Formats: sequence, C-alpha cells, structure tokens
Amino acid sequence: MESLFAQLVVLESSLVLIFGLVLLWRRRVPAYVSAFTWQSLVLGAVALTVGWFGRERELYFIGGLLVLVKGVAIPRLLGRMERRFASEREIAPYVNTATSLLVAGLLVLFGYAIMRPVVAASDLPTRAGMPLAMGLVLVSLFVVVSRKKALTQVVGFLMLENGIALLAILGTYGIPLIVELGVFLDALMGFLVMQIFVYRIHSTFETIDVDQLDRLRH
Amino acid sequence: MSFALLLVPSLLSALLALVVRPYRAAVGWANAALSLVAVAGAITLWVRVLRGEVPVAGADGLLRADALSTLLALCVSGVAALAAWLGPGLGDDGWGARQARRFRIFANLFAFTMLFAVTTDNVGFMWVAIEATTITSAVLIPLHASKASVEASWKYVLIGSVGIALAFAGTVLAYFDFVTLIGREAVALNWTVLQDAAPALNPRVIRLAFVFILIGYGTKAGLAPMHTWLPDAHSEAPPALSAMMSGVLLAVALYAVVRWQAVVRVTVGTGFAEDVIVLLGVLSLAIGALSLVAQRSYKRLLAYSSIEHTGLICVGLALGPLGVFAAMLHLLNHSVAKSMMFLLAGRVLRRYGTAEIEGVSGLLRVMPWTGGFFAAGMLAVIGLPPFGMFVSEFALVRAGFAAGRPVLVAVVLMLLAVGFVGVLVHLNRMLYGRPPSTVTLGESSRWALVPLGGCLVALVVLGLTLPAAIDGLLVRIVAIVAP
Amino acid sequence: MARGALALLQGLLVLALAPGVVGLVRWLKARLQNRRGAPAWQPYFELRKLFGKEVVVSENASWLFRAAPYVVFVSTAAAALLVPVLAVPLPIDAVGDLLVVVYLLLLGTVFLALAGLDPGSAFGGMGSSREMTVAALAEPTVALAIFALALSAGSTNLGQIVARTMSDPAAALSPGHLLAFAALFVVMIAETGRMPVDNPATHLELTMIHEAMVLEYSGRYLALIEWAAALKLLVFFALLGNLFVPWGVAVVLTPAALALALASLVGKLAVLAVAVALLETRVAKLRLFRVPELLSASFVLALLAVTSSFLSR
Repeated sequence: MESLFAQLVVLESSLVLIFGLVLLWRRRVPAYVSAFTWQSLVLGAVALTVGWFGRERELYFIGGLLVLVKGVAIPRLLGRMERRFASEREIAPYVNTATSLLVAGLLVLFGYAIMRPVVAASDLPTRAGMPLAMGLVLVSLFVVVSRKKALTQVVGFLMLENGIALLAILGTYGIPLIVELGVFLDALMGFLVMQIFVYRIHSTFETIDVDQLDRLRH
Repeated sequence: MSFALLLVPSLLSALLALVVRPYRAAVGWANAALSLVAVAGAITLWVRVLRGEVPVAGADGLLRADALSTLLALCVSGVAALAAWLGPGLGDDGWGARQARRFRIFANLFAFTMLFAVTTDNVGFMWVAIEATTITSAVLIPLHASKASVEASWKYVLIGSVGIALAFAGTVLAYFDFVTLIGREAVALNWTVLQDAAPALNPRVIRLAFVFILIGYGTKAGLAPMHTWLPDAHSEAPPALSAMMSGVLLAVALYAVVRWQAVVRVTVGTGFAEDVIVLLGVLSLAIGALSLVAQRSYKRLLAYSSIEHTGLICVGLALGPLGVFAAMLHLLNHSVAKSMMFLLAGRVLRRYGTAEIEGVSGLLRVMPWTGGFFAAGMLAVIGLPPFGMFVSEFALVRAGFAAGRPVLVAVVLMLLAVGFVGVLVHLNRMLYGRPPSTVTLGESSRWALVPLGGCLVALVVLGLTLPAAIDGLLVRIVAIVAP
Repeated sequence: MARGALALLQGLLVLALAPGVVGLVRWLKARLQNRRGAPAWQPYFELRKLFGKEVVVSENASWLFRAAPYVVFVSTAAAALLVPVLAVPLPIDAVGDLLVVVYLLLLGTVFLALAGLDPGSAFGGMGSSREMTVAALAEPTVALAIFALALSAGSTNLGQIVARTMSDPAAALSPGHLLAFAALFVVMIAETGRMPVDNPATHLELTMIHEAMVLEYSGRYLALIEWAAALKLLVFFALLGNLFVPWGVAVVLTPAALALALASLVGKLAVLAVAVALLETRVAKLRLFRVPELLSASFVLALLAVTSSFLSR
C-alpha cells in the first residue's frame, strides 16, 4: 500500500515535470496551453492521491480547486489569448531549443542536488517526488527568462506556481487551508493582471514579443 | 482597536472610490482624511509598544505588532497619507476622473496589503499580502498609458511575481521542516511559533529555504541582480505611486527578509544569513552607485538611489545589533526622503514635461520652493549632514568597525562616494542655468508644499537628534532581530 | 541442450518474422491513410525478387562496398540472437548484454555509412553524414537509458533485467522505467529511420537519410540491407516490449509457456507496430535541424530516467 502510494505519487510528479518540459520543446502557443492544462489536471490528481492515501480531507478540496481553476478556468482564458496571438510563435528564443533542453536536464539534476537534505529530512512516502517539484520550479524559471513571447512567460509563471503547489502537497500534505486559499486568490489575480498586460502590450506594440520592449534600457 | 484604526481606513477608501462613479473630488478628500486615521492607528500602536505591550488580535494571533511591525506600519501609513494628499484626484493636477478613480481604488488596496503584510504574524499571509502588493501596484504603473509605462509594468509584474513565487517556495520548505520535525499545527506558519521552534529545526533545510526567501523577497526589495525591474517601474509610475513603491514597498520586502533572518539566526546560528544578505547588499550598493553616474533621467536617478540604499540597509542587517539599529534608522530615513523626492520629481516633471536631466535647468528660478526642497532632498539622499541619512550612515560605518569588518566598510564608503559625486553633478545641472523658454515661472498648488516641507523638517530633526520615542522603538527592534 | 536449441529456434524465428513486421507497419499505415495497401507479407516477395536480381556495382566502389552488406546483416542478426524474444534465461545470455546489442547495431550503422561514402556519389555522402549526425546524438541517450534500466535491475544483462522486472511488477511503472522507455522509443524512431526523423517511403533528396545511403545498392546486397533494417526494427521492438513489459516471456520451457510467449510476442509487436504506424500518420517529418532538438529531448528524458532510478534504488 505504502509502496503503491509512493510509486503513484512519483509517477504523477514525473508527469507534471514532463509537461513542463513541453514548453521548451514546442513552439506553438496551443501546445503550451494544452501542456499547462494537462499539468494542472495531473497536479489535481496528485492532490487527490495524497488526500486518499494520506487521509487528508482538505486535499480533496484543494485538488478540486486546482482542477477547477488551473485545469479549466485559466486554460479557457489562455485559449482566448491563444486565438488572438496564434500567429506569434516562439521562433527564436534567447536560448535555442536543444541547449534549452540540456539546460533543463541539468536544472533537474541541480534540483535533486539541492533537495537532498530536504528528502533526507522527511519520512513521508511522498518525499521522492519533491526533487521533481523543485526541478519543475527551476525549469519554469528558466522558461520565463529564456523565452521572448509574453504568453510563453505567463505559462512559465503558471507552471512555476504549479511546481510550488506540488512541493507543498508532497512535502507537507498541503499548507494550512486558509493560507492556501489566499495563495489561490493571488495566483488567479496575478494571472488576470498579467493577461490584461499581455493584451495591452499587444495593443501598444502590435506584438507580444518582449524583445521589442526596449524603450527602457540601461 | 489599534489594528482596526490602522487597517480599515484604506479598505474603506478603496471601497468608497469603487462605489462612487464617476469619481468626485469628495472621495479624494475622504481618502485623505481617512489616511490620517490610519496614521493615528499606527501611532497608537507605537505608544502601546513603547509601554512594553505587544498588541495581538484576531484568531490564532493573526495580527501582531511588535516594535518591528510598528516601525513599518508607521512608515507605510505615513507615506500612504502623503500619497493620498498629493496623489491624483485632488484639485487640478492634470489627471482625468477615470485615472483618479483607478488610483484611489488601487493605491488604497496597495496600502492595505502593505499594512497587512507588516502586521500579520502569519508568514503565509505575509507572503499572500506581499504578492498582492505586486498586483495592486502593477495596475497603477500605466496610469498614464505609454509604451514605456506598459513595458515597465510588464517587467514589474512578471519579475515581481516570479520572484515572490520563489519566496513562497522558501516558505513552503520552512513549513515542511516544521511539519516534519514538530508536527502539523494550524499555527505553524505564525512567526512567533516558528521563532520558538527555531532551535529544533533542521539547519540544512532552513538554509535552503532562506536562500529562496532571500531571492524572492530580495526581488521585491530591488536587490541586485534581481533589480532590473525597479528603475523602470519606479520611474514610469505616477509620482504618488513611485513614492509608495520606493518609500515603503522596498522596506516591506526587507521587513519580510528580516523576519526570516531572525528565525534563521536561531536555527543556523549567526553568520549564514548575514553572509548571503551582505553579498546581495554590497552588489546592490555597487550597481546602484555606479548607475547613478550614467543616468540621464532624474526619476531613474532616484530609482537607482533606492537600490543603493536598499543595499546599504542590507549591509547594516549583517553587522550585528549596532548594524541592525543603523539599518532600521536608515530604513525610516529612506522612507521619508524617497517618498518626498519622488513627489517633488513629479512636480518637476509636470512643469518641464520631461524626465531628462538635460531638459531641466534653472529649477531654482522656475520653482524656488520645489527646487530648494529638491536640492535639500538630494543632499539628504546622498548622506550629507544635517539630514537623517547622514546619522544612519555614520552609525552604519561605526557598526562595521565595531563588527571588525574594515574592508567591508571601506568598500561601502567608496561606493557611497561614487554615488555622491554622480548625484552632485546631475543636481548642479538641474538647479542652475537658464530655464527653457517654454516653462512658466512660479509655484503651482502651493499647499502641496506643506506636507513635503514637513518631510524635510522630519529629515532634519532625525539628523540633529534621535527622539526618545524612535530610539525606544529601534532598541526594541534590535532586541527582536539581533539579541 | 533444449535451451540451446531454443536459442537457435528463437534466432530463426526473428529472422523470419522481421520482414513481416515491416510489412505490417506499412499495411497499417496504408489503412490509416485510407489506402488499401500491400499485404503484410509483401516484403518477403520483395526480398525474393531482390535476391534473384543481378548486382550492379559502381566502378569507383572498393571492397568495402561489397563487404558492408554482409557486415550489416551479420551484426544485426547477432544482435537479434541476443535479445530475449521468447524465453529467459538462454545459454547465450552470458553475452546477452544490452551494451553488446546496442553496439552491434551501431557497428552495422557505421559500416552502412562507410559504404554510403565509398562509391563517391553525392547522395550517399549526404545520407552518411546525416545518419552519423543522428547516430552521434542518439548514442548518449541510448547509453543513459541503458544505465537507467541497469541501475534498477543491478545488471546490464538482458535476461536479468527481464527477470528483475517480472519479479517486481511495480518497478515497471516506476518513473525511471517509463522515462527510459520514452527515451528509447524516440531513439528507436531515429535509429530505424522512421518518421518524424526520416521517411522510409521517400527518395526525395532533400529529406532522405537512410535511403540516401543505400541508394547505390542493388540485387542481393540491397536485399541483405533491407532485411537487416527490418531486423533492426524488430530488435528494437523486442527490446521495448520485453524489457519494459516483460510479462509473457517464458521462464520455464514448457510448450504451454512457449506458446504463451509466442502469442504475447506477436501481441506486443502488433501494439508497437500500431504505435509506429499511428505516429507516422499523425506527425509530419521534422525538418533536419529540428532532429537534434528531438534527440536532445530524448536525452533529457534518459537523464531524468537515470536520476530517478538512481535515487529510488
């Protein structure tokens, strides 16, 4: 039972990470949106799995919220942006795809390295997934800094949040519910504001390529 | 009660601005009046803390104001009041009704999130509030829509959100450590509980957590190398917002770092957190000071000076009790000086219509009072006597020698000297010379000079004496942060 | 003794089955594209036809050109003998090492590339250079994926990896295994020249890789090379099917177990054939410069596989 739980959680965590890697490999916005959607759904599944095996009622609620907000609502808004900006592809990111993928691999290894004391400190069956969550955090960070399209950066940011949520679920079976709700609210508001800005960038610069944002240098 | 006085007015003002549409000047005046109530709330906290109390309120000790919180609450409510009095929407200031309404809604929410961040005991809510400051302030940066302001707000919201997310990862790691070693408790995220449990926590995990937290909140505090958003955002925001962002938002982010530093100090021992902080501090100081020289815009000049001073505060935080004392005094001085300076810069910008230093000349002839204040403020910012910053920088240098780090002190002094020269050259160019022919002479909206003059007086007072009420507060902070 | 005979039987079975698998993939692809398609046994007729044709060799070609088809065929056939197809352990298992299999296959690739260069034709050289690029990028992935498997089984011996996975079914679902599977699948596509890396059905000079290399061959040489290519596909199918999902492989030599093993083998081959056919229908061929990106993606997968199997040991 315990080992099944551990296996299942690690499997789901790896999936969450791999959906994050899709951002580096694909170039078209629809692929990003669907990768994010699937990632959020799997993340919701992680919450439900941990809730079931760890007997934490609150996690059902959090899992449901994850699926609803990040698996349905945000992807829908992203989809609307996607239709607007479908022609804007990530053609020449600051770091090319092959190098990006290798960097991502190294970042995941780095995540493993820095999480060693953390994994060693825990005795939860879910601990093996924590380095993967850290890996996702680092990889998403890399996506945000190495990609040029505002929309890619937004998806990278959303995935970063997913990574942290995964970390919280695996490491502590979820942070206190009331704080979690605040975090959710922030995440949603943050996304909405970013969305407004993406539209605004598009209407002022006629592109969502942030490489064009060079009025303010030095 | 004090908490209600502190927190409710800004919420009320925001609500008022939200329901009254279109915007009316009365809303602005109500906001201005209510902002003073918040200041009164902060002052009652101050009085109670000086009497030795630690006011607590709310379920699970949600709100708690020790000396550190009180200092920040004073700064935030004070600067928020300044922004409420001098911000868009009172009198003829060139802003439209829609912009004024938006400003009144979000600036008050912004003030509320900052006040809540510094008075909540729960580090989880502290994070939620600081993240919310990004959202509420980012909306206001492009109040005057232009390519530059859109660009600045995008950088700000993206870098700010991503950075702050890392701080959350750090918070989760610390909570993880608590849960693993002590057990799941609803109050585990309360700073007081964490502080009590700190000796039992796992140092290796807490170290990792602190690195994330420092990078995260450091991003919001404008520490190099995560500072890239700051000059853009601070220079493109409307003046009243710049005043709040530069004057107190940086301080609020530093406040979060200091809270965690106190926990780390107990768990890991002195040295680790200090070393990391001083590293970022010196780097910021260097980048801030060196960038001052090459600036062409006076608003960006002020923004880089903020980076410089944030770095200076960080250096102070790493220098033991004396250093913390100096750092906190510097934080207070910086809040007063920078909010005044950004508001003055707004007046200059409005008159000259350009933020370029090149375009501004003869400031003393065009607006004698504004120009005079601006010059005095600049001198204060670069740390000349008789202004408060001279005292705090002097205290910092002394703390450095006392802590036995003469090399660090030498580096800091050298960088300060670089910034000093850089600013003086630019200032000269602005103050004297022949004003451009398109600029009208004489002050406008003179009453606005009264609060700004008040700031200047406060700076001079802080430079000449250290009032017992402030000294008492700072001593208590040192006892909390670096016993 | 019986096991020795079985090993031989197994080898013959693989040799016989290989063209059929290629035929099956082609037929499935045709059906998926709403064509009637040639029957699955068409490749057998093609081989017979090629063996009966005369050989035309370029004047510039050296002995290398004539020797290469035999080397390619023999090395691939040797690899095919080592792969656990029906039963484990077999006597030949002593050398049945995953590394040996992979590098036997690579030997064939190298000779093919040399043979492509030998006659000095433009297309051959182009194909060889492309093939080597792909091989060079795929090799690290293969090595890492092998290590991921070896780490969890404690050995690079194929028989032991199969036995280990069978004894611990949960390990088959472990992320290390799944990631290694994904990485090897991508490598399989690259190494056997399938879409989206190479299109086996085209002779368009801009895109072909494998076909460009063997363009100069005819008659029985071409037959040997085609057969070896089919064998290679089957070897990879067998590796993917039996290493990662080993159920069905016989551990005792009873007729019933062997019959089950044969049935499961055919089933797995069919599933993989469907997967490849679907993939080839669904995706467009990648532009050549995107291929390194695909391969580095698979490298990252393999890297993650190693990391997670290393840590979950």
